[in-house]
Amino acid sequence: MDEKNFTPEESLLIISMTIEETRKKIQENGHIIILWGSLIFTVILSQYILELLGLHKKFDIAWTCILFLPGAIYTFFYTWRKSRKNNIPKTILGTIVGAMGWLFGLNGFVLAAIFGDHIGNALAPVLLILLAITTIVIGLSIKFKPLIIGGIVLNLLAIGTFLVNPAYHGFSLMFGAMIGLIIPGILLNIAKKRGNV
Amino acid sequence: MLKKEEMFSDLDPILHSQLRLSIVSILMTVEETSFSFIKDTTKAAAGNVSIQINKLQEAGYITVKKTFKNNYPNTTVSLTEKGRNAFEEYVKNLQKYIHPQK
Repeated sequence: MDEKNFTPEESLLIISMTIEETRKKIQENGHIIILWGSLIFTVILSQYILELLGLHKKFDIAWTCILFLPGAIYTFFYTWRKSRKNNIPKTILGTIVGAMGWLFGLNGFVLAAIFGDHIGNALAPVLLILLAITTIVIGLSIKFKPLIIGGIVLNLLAIGTFLVNPAYHGFSLMFGAMIGLIIPGILLNIAKKRGNV
Repeated sequence: MLKKEEMFSDLDPILHSQLRLSIVSILMTVEETSFSFIKDTTKAAAGNVSIQINKLQEAGYITVKKTFKNNYPNTTVSLTEKGRNAFEEYVKNLQKYIHPQK
């Protein structure tokens, strides 16, 4: 293509191809979403099992920290290393996605660890609402429908959880982790491999 | 009938260059990026990218920050408001050529 005499159609082609190429390089993958979905699922399931065995009281914060703290440290180093190694540029969407994830994590931790007694039986539905908002905003930011749908289902599940016996709130959290994080995360990885995101 | 040069006279000459257009397109997608990301994405030679970045900077379309990262020089580039407006105007003019009735 001649540097100066290219046609308007060729100009538009350069613009769309470059934007597409840049988008491919900066797109998110589902790794961290699957990790946190699995961690939430494992923490709640293990607490049910430990309680059944009479070894543990349910929703023990120390046990939660044992599993979540390495997850938080891993997430921090994974995202830091990924952006450094792959030379990923700073984007507004990347900032929104990262901020939403960390804000959910920190607020969820503070609510459960410090104000758990104040919130009482509303803890699980409130955590699900926070997770639903996070999932929907991330889904809308990266324009990925399974995350948006997962977030909407999470929001409905959160409202439904208010009506359920608190003894079963853990099942709501496990189901929420599955439909709001693990499944959309796996679908996001598949879509990324196919280049559809 | 208009000659090709006359036909494209409304198109910003700073942007109507293959590599400069690619650089500004990248910067429309991201907040800021490094010189090496631009070089990798455009698949152009470092020297050529450097020349075009200087031209865009002289026109006030981009800002260039030179820092050090782990003792290596690190150049980050971002689009200015003037550059964003120029790109939007350029695309509008392109659309006029492609769909003159609109």
